[in-house]
Amino acid sequence: MVQYVVARLLWLIPTILAMALVTFLVMHATPGSPLDPIAEGANPLPPEAQKVLAKHYGLDKPLWHQFGIFVAKAARGDFGFSFVYKTRTVAEILRETFPISLFLGSMALALAVAGGLTLGILAAVYQNRGWDYVSVSLATVGVAVPNFVLAVFLIILFSFVVPLFPTGGWESPRTWVLPTITLAAAPMGIIARFTRASMLEVIRADYTLTARAKGLSETPVIFKHALKNALIPIVTLLGPMFAAVGTGSFFVESIFRVPGMGRFFVQSMTGRDYPMIMAVVLTYGVFLAIMNLAVDLAYGALDPRIRY
Amino acid sequence: MKIPRIPDAQLDLLAERLSAIGVGRRDFLKVAAGLATLGAAGFNARPAAAAPKLGPGEKLAKDQHLRIGGGGWWQNDPSSHDYNKDLYCTGVAALWAGLMKFDVNFQPVPYVASRVASNADGSVWTFTIRKDSKWSDGSPCTAKDFEWSWKRQMDPASKNPYSSYFYDIKGAEPFNKSKVPDASQVGVVAKDDWTLEVTLEGPRGYFPVLSAYLAALPAHRPSVEKHGDKWTEAANIVCNGPFTLEAWEHNKVMVLRKNKHFIGAKDVTLDKVTIPIVPLESGALPYENNELDLSPLQTGDLKRLRDAPATKSQVFRYPFPGTWYLLPQVTKPPFDNVKVRRAVAHAIDRESIVRVADGFAIPAHSMIPPGFPGAVDDKKIRDIQRFDPKAAMAMLKGTPYEGGRNWPKITLTMRQEGLGSKPLAEAVQSVLLEHLNMKTDLEVQEQRVFRAGLWQHNYQFVWIRWFMDYPDPHNEYFDTFYGKKTEGKRQAWVNDAFDKELELGRDTRDTKKRMANYAKAEEIMQTDAGYIPVAWVARWAAAKPTVRGLEKNKLGETVVDGNIYVDMLPQIYMVEKA
Amino acid sequence: MGLSTPASGTNVTAGPRPLADPDGIRAPLPVAVEAGAELRSSSLWRDAIRRLLRNRLAMAGGIVVALLCLIAIFADVLAPRPYTKTNFGRLNEAPTRDYLLGTDQLGRDLLSRMIYGARVSMLVGLGAQIIVVSIGVPIGALSGYLGGRADLFLTRFIDVMYAFPRLLFVILVMSMLGAGLTNIFIAIGLTGWVGIARQTRAQVLAIKEKEFVDAARGLGAGFARLLSRHILPNAMTPIVVAVTFGIPEAIFTEAALSFIGVGINPPTPSWGQMVGEGQQYIRSYWHLCVFPSIAIAVTMLAFTFFGDGVRDALDPKMK
Repeated sequence: MVQYVVARLLWLIPTILAMALVTFLVMHATPGSPLDPIAEGANPLPPEAQKVLAKHYGLDKPLWHQFGIFVAKAARGDFGFSFVYKTRTVAEILRETFPISLFLGSMALALAVAGGLTLGILAAVYQNRGWDYVSVSLATVGVAVPNFVLAVFLIILFSFVVPLFPTGGWESPRTWVLPTITLAAAPMGIIARFTRASMLEVIRADYTLTARAKGLSETPVIFKHALKNALIPIVTLLGPMFAAVGTGSFFVESIFRVPGMGRFFVQSMTGRDYPMIMAVVLTYGVFLAIMNLAVDLAYGALDPRIRY
Repeated sequence: MKIPRIPDAQLDLLAERLSAIGVGRRDFLKVAAGLATLGAAGFNARPAAAAPKLGPGEKLAKDQHLRIGGGGWWQNDPSSHDYNKDLYCTGVAALWAGLMKFDVNFQPVPYVASRVASNADGSVWTFTIRKDSKWSDGSPCTAKDFEWSWKRQMDPASKNPYSSYFYDIKGAEPFNKSKVPDASQVGVVAKDDWTLEVTLEGPRGYFPVLSAYLAALPAHRPSVEKHGDKWTEAANIVCNGPFTLEAWEHNKVMVLRKNKHFIGAKDVTLDKVTIPIVPLESGALPYENNELDLSPLQTGDLKRLRDAPATKSQVFRYPFPGTWYLLPQVTKPPFDNVKVRRAVAHAIDRESIVRVADGFAIPAHSMIPPGFPGAVDDKKIRDIQRFDPKAAMAMLKGTPYEGGRNWPKITLTMRQEGLGSKPLAEAVQSVLLEHLNMKTDLEVQEQRVFRAGLWQHNYQFVWIRWFMDYPDPHNEYFDTFYGKKTEGKRQAWVNDAFDKELELGRDTRDTKKRMANYAKAEEIMQTDAGYIPVAWVARWAAAKPTVRGLEKNKLGETVVDGNIYVDMLPQIYMVEKA
Repeated sequence: MGLSTPASGTNVTAGPRPLADPDGIRAPLPVAVEAGAELRSSSLWRDAIRRLLRNRLAMAGGIVVALLCLIAIFADVLAPRPYTKTNFGRLNEAPTRDYLLGTDQLGRDLLSRMIYGARVSMLVGLGAQIIVVSIGVPIGALSGYLGGRADLFLTRFIDVMYAFPRLLFVILVMSMLGAGLTNIFIAIGLTGWVGIARQTRAQVLAIKEKEFVDAARGLGAGFARLLSRHILPNAMTPIVVAVTFGIPEAIFTEAALSFIGVGINPPTPSWGQMVGEGQQYIRSYWHLCVFPSIAIAVTMLAFTFFGDGVRDALDPKMK
């Protein structure tokens, strides 16, 4: 087991390198140059200015050389200056924004897990009856309504109609509520559905029958025996889900003015902000790889027959 | 003996009188500057009448605190406030004061410079700087600061994407292109602490306009040398404008505080300005929830706020010069035939098309919108590309597409953007289909991919929006359409007569003559259908009733901060809520 | 990543099948016996179909799915007006007798655009999922089944692809191949298969330990047959669930991409884009955003119930 964990952690290094390389190549292959000023009427830079800028950004060197420099610096945590926010380093920007996204993401995920599991269990236990339909419908709505629409609805309801919360910002715990609910809606729906599907299979299993036959009452049957086995697919879900919400949702953070890192995923790509692109992709990738490791370890805990 | 200061309202009147008898802009400035030196405190471009005007029973608010933002204003964290080095830093312009500034009618007026004068042909300009000009740390802001700042802007090491702005200055281009090792040959010299002399490449009638623009703002040398790129952070920044930066929480909010060392500090009423970073996706929600006092509006919110009785009176239109136009590429069939281009021009039903922008566009018959220098309102020119379906079809006679048949595949390319650009393009498609039987495919491209192709003239038919950088026809025509440019041309169209008019306009200092040149240029371009103007940008904003002091221009329109006029904040005052 | 909306690009599917069928004896070749009737041997598939037909909710879902497909195919006949026909006099109107669902920013009939939108959305949603399943399931299955070094390598490959900058890749693909519906769902599909791969792998990992697999192997079943006949049918649950989620996710991804300028070009209507562009008008012209949202939700519900029904039908223990 320990060997397995160590092996996986060691494997992280080539994985991240591969991620960086793939991103780097796609990034440079995509047309549209970071040297092009973004502003409305601005003309393209004259060739001399382009050369100077390219030199400053290190873009005049051959690709493999650039990649090498990038890796060497990144290993020390230096991702360079953002091409868009020219006076700030990428590390500095992420250091300020990533914790906020992580915090919001954690709250949303906690809500999604609590809500999703509940809905899913209810649906499975009361299959094809009232609670099942309610639960599946709620889950579907949660996923089918995009979060930018849900956000507006929530704001209208809870900022205007019933003035409970501000329309956005990130000052007090009050500003946390609406973004958390919005962000949690879709994951909650997905978790609910998977829980339901998984529980349904498990409930019919022989060992559940055995447990009931032994005389156990329903609660320990559901929670002790059934749930543990049903959790595996859900745990598989949670890994990438946490990585995704933990690195910020572009729309939710924009609408609620949450100063997280979600916007950089889009902005860095449309702005061809190479240092930022590399940094956000790697942040996401590392986060994900660690979560996947945690998930794989959890399998071992939940299903003793899965061995490594 | 105390010399009475001539009130600015009178000076404005004087300007009108003078222009009526044909005295050009440059000449007016000479006159006005001469008059101003008679005054004690120098030329203060803000009309005396703009001191807070309170209605009956109204009081100035105790807490002079304004919250602005949203609708596109600071939707992203600025990359810095260093306009001197980076014109597109999207920082707060109210932190700075340039030698001149634009008043509410987009006319350049002296600001930190109390007097502006030129030599006989307008190739050497002298700026006399007010002796009370200071930085926010109390130290004097002198001509030497401006000389150093302008040279910094042209310095190739600054990598300023807009450094060609000052190429009219003698020696600027070689310095910027590293053909000479230093700035010693550049024609900007501080003759002493309070006099700045600028030598140009030749007569340039529009130079005052350039010195009033954001690209000419100064920087504080000691701060730059001490803190490098971080000198505009709240803890480090030293500025000379009406406000200082008290706090800047990145991606969250900026807080401005009145600068007591500012030359016009006694006329600034606001004490504190809060600017939260509000992405576009929030729309007008923060404004409606009373989290903002003044905010521009986007397409989804205008109609609703204008219709609701509670907010009806809070909504107003403000001038934001920009033009949507079509570029039929003269190197690609079917647009290589001028008759086809003219036919397309006649088929554009502007009145109908702008309706889809839901208030954010008005029909355009030329490049420059009304109210701006160089605006053309000649019936003859309006007729060249007027909407006339019959004339459109008639134009096609003799071409292979007569009767609207045999059109090849035509792709209308545009860049992804908001404010109704896409519906407008689709409306253009619709009218072309209806009146010329011309079917087009709309191709929406990602921003940078679009630009890369634009400069290469790859596109057959382009839908494009242009925003005015500075209010002079030189910007609208020369920077966009001049044929002899070696790079940065958006279209392949070239016309020698057109170019000639532009060159004349650039080199003449006589305002009336210049305007005639540009009008002729417009006429030539429209006759040759090098472009087809479709709509001018209209923008709207909303302000709470407690916000006062927003200036109105000659046409009666309320003006807010934009690219050109950035003097809104010093004029605003808050009143107690009714 | 933070671009597409539901669960932000997770493209998730479930984990390994729990201990529901320890001896798995019932997996292959169930025999249907009815008291008093003659012994009828039937295949897995015929049984499944019969079970499916009996599931009312699933059938309701299936009918809606079929209807949507029909609408998509026969849009030209069904739509009351062409979806490009503008009417500058009647912009952004709420539903009236003339225009049953109202009009959009150019005065086009929303109902007609919704009908044509069904075609685009079905193509994007289903097309992307077909690619996702075709790539993700085999990779995941191979990884889980082969184990050892192959598993290690493939899992790392999956990890790398997870972090792939999808937006950039789509811009790249679109600029190379040009705009067009097929290119979009190819681009979406090529970057969206990782979730299913992981889920399939997890499932296969658990199932391959079961005795019925040993039994089948003992009977001489080769690797391919094992995978396709025995293991994968039992791994269906999470794949089916993932596909039902994946369809609206692909629709929203396309909409999100159009905000950047790499989506389907106007005037072709797509539900996702209609929702995205209608969002800013939600408080002024609610119909622009609400109707396409309902359409997407109904589509998803239909696929959900139908998908559940299919999975239930294939699971021999559901009665």
